[in-house]
Amino acid sequence: MWIKLGSCVLAAAAVLAGADIHGTIIIDRKLSRHNVTASVGMYQRGVAVELRADAEADPLALERSHVAVYLEGGPKSPVTEIAKASIEQKDRRFVPDLVVIPAGATVSFPNFDPIFHNVFSLSKAKSFDLGNYREGQSRLVTFPVPGVVAVYCHLHSNMAASIVVAPSRWAVVVDRDGVFTLKDVPAGTYTVVAWHKTAGTFRKTVIIGEKQDAAVSFTLPYAEPTDASRVAHR
Amino acid sequence: MNMRFATRTFLSSFIPFAVLLAVSFWAIRASVMATVRDGLRTSVRDNQVALAREQARNEGRNRKLLEGIGENPSLKAGLQLLAAEGGTNELARNTVQDQLSEICDSLSFDFMMVSGVRGEPLAAVVRYAGGFAPVNFARLHPPEQGFFSADGTLYEVTSVPIREADSQVATLTVGGRFDISRFGVPAVLLQKDVVVAAQMRDLAPSQIEHALAACSPAADCDLRIQGQEYLSTPLGRPNGSGDESYTLRSLQNVDAASAPLQIVLRKLFLVAGFIALAAMLGISALSSRSIAQPLVDVVTHLRLSADTGELPEFPENRGGAQEIRDLTQGFNNAAKAVRESRERLTRAYVQFVGSLAQALDARDAYTAGHSRRVSEYSCAIAKAMNLAEEDMEIISVGALLHDLGKIGISDLVLQKPGRLTPEETELIQQHPVIGKRILENVQGLEAYLSIVELHHENLNGTGYPHGLKGEETPLYARIVKVADAYDAMTSDRPYRRGKSHAEAIAVLRSVSGSEMDPQVVEAFALLGDQRKQQVAFTGSQSLHSLSEAVQSEIDRPVPSAPAALEIVGREREAS
Repeated sequence: MWIKLGSCVLAAAAVLAGADIHGTIIIDRKLSRHNVTASVGMYQRGVAVELRADAEADPLALERSHVAVYLEGGPKSPVTEIAKASIEQKDRRFVPDLVVIPAGATVSFPNFDPIFHNVFSLSKAKSFDLGNYREGQSRLVTFPVPGVVAVYCHLHSNMAASIVVAPSRWAVVVDRDGVFTLKDVPAGTYTVVAWHKTAGTFRKTVIIGEKQDAAVSFTLPYAEPTDASRVAHR
Repeated sequence: MNMRFATRTFLSSFIPFAVLLAVSFWAIRASVMATVRDGLRTSVRDNQVALAREQARNEGRNRKLLEGIGENPSLKAGLQLLAAEGGTNELARNTVQDQLSEICDSLSFDFMMVSGVRGEPLAAVVRYAGGFAPVNFARLHPPEQGFFSADGTLYEVTSVPIREADSQVATLTVGGRFDISRFGVPAVLLQKDVVVAAQMRDLAPSQIEHALAACSPAADCDLRIQGQEYLSTPLGRPNGSGDESYTLRSLQNVDAASAPLQIVLRKLFLVAGFIALAAMLGISALSSRSIAQPLVDVVTHLRLSADTGELPEFPENRGGAQEIRDLTQGFNNAAKAVRESRERLTRAYVQFVGSLAQALDARDAYTAGHSRRVSEYSCAIAKAMNLAEEDMEIISVGALLHDLGKIGISDLVLQKPGRLTPEETELIQQHPVIGKRILENVQGLEAYLSIVELHHENLNGTGYPHGLKGEETPLYARIVKVADAYDAMTSDRPYRRGKSHAEAIAVLRSVSGSEMDPQVVEAFALLGDQRKQQVAFTGSQSLHSLSEAVQSEIDRPVPSAPAALEIVGREREAS
């Protein structure tokens, strides 16, 4: 369930030695419905298939963990190494169903189900159709243009995933506690963007000084003044 | 059969009416029941027809819904995948079956199957306990529409086409487990004449099969099971062929539906019938009574007449009915004739008695009128002793006849002057017995026998013929004895003159207690000289007038002949 930015290491980060942005996401109510579908793979005759058992104990934690945060307005930094993410198809679901990648990154779509899947997207940022492919096979897609890409499966209408293609390399998925950190941000003025599939996009301006951490907090789904609030120096 | 008239009248009026009543009630009840049942059957049939129509409409709606499912893009994508990968690809089939399971689950179906354009099955799932599982569909051959069974479970399925660009690419067959109880009316499902599902728990499937065998598959059908009437209507069209042909029919018990009404009707008719029967009973009893009562009265009257021997006339207009009037009239006429003949008989009898007495008296000039006089004296005594009229009648006639036995004795002895030899005396003394013998064979003279036989018995037992003592001799005979002795003494004889009244009474008194009854003698003595009084009414020698004189002496209204006959007819206590 966690973001796998396995080799999201930037060579320039150490040189610039910028500050961190700490933030919290507060969500006070449930924003979306999560249908838990039956797991596939039990195609033995007579075996019962469990359906619609929502095991999520804390729905707000689930909502918080489905928020993507990234920076806009920073200096352009070309991607020197191809960042990679993966969205698996498992039990007729995309796992994870939200990934945040910098523009130019590549996402793999491996199929772990004993049935066919057909992953496709019609989004402006990137439209693709991977065709039907079977268990054990995988496909790779590169996302050069920033934006939100909605990913579906032709065969299973309930399968959906979102890929947030950030214009910068500072892009994370908030953890279940609603906490995120954008590390080593060079000094400058940025816009912090929080995106939730149902709640929408929220922006806040933040100014980063030399070695001066900043803090930003979003309360979803309410819109707040977009002026940045300076955070006291540590 | 010995049956009273009233009973016969009652039965002959009651039984036919009761039978008629019962039959007509039964017929009316049967007709009402039939009408009610027909009405119910019609309403049941209408119900079932409406239900069948409703079901057809529902099927149409379901079909539209299912066609929506056929438009499912995911399913279409799955079918395309299947087509692309080939029918043998297990993974591709799993993909489609997985989709089918989802659809089934979300729409609460129990069975789903896709088959290709040529009808070849591509994928199928069925619901198992709590979930779905793919099935070995190669052996499933569900019809496009209707019933089929798989693994002992009966499904009702419908098929819709899956189209792509106006051409059918596959067929989707969707169904649920067949639940016969969802029908509003009792229904039965037959698989080639064999019951596979029925709502009637109280009927054995074999009975239903047997009864339905005669029914046409597409028409209404009346049938009888266990003596009850059932109505069966086809619900939907029969489908399938051969062993897999199914027929769904309603099967409703018309009798049970009409049972509450029938019970009410039966009660109503029973109560009404009993009331009518009771009314009939009363009416019959009354009418039979009114018919029979006059007759019963007549019969009672006749029985009374038979008991008493009297023949009183019926009052006029009794009973009112013409027949009864005729009957009483006839009886009155007959009674009148009988009375007249009785009178004639009595007269003849009296004449006969008189003739006998006259014949006796005529033999001897000296004893002429003896019997008559003895009769008169005896009557006088009897009257003086306050005897009943019947007794006086007996005494009067008995006295006339008392010496009849002398007919059988030779004139030589009877008219011999002077003393009689002992043989002659013995001969004379036989006259009471001879008289009795003469008279005892004549019917109607029994009452006088004692007088004839015993008028020479003495009180002390020295008399003849039997030597009876005291009260052993009846009073009649004792009275006649006194009168006889008196007349014998006061009559002139060739050899002597008659004694005077006083002398005779004196003689009588002298033997009173020994020969004569003292009471009788005293009563006679108190009367005085009867001979002087005789003149007035013995002027006529006619026997008829004698009889009348006897009767006038005892103050009886004229005529009283029937009474005499009556006395003759009865068993009187003569002693």
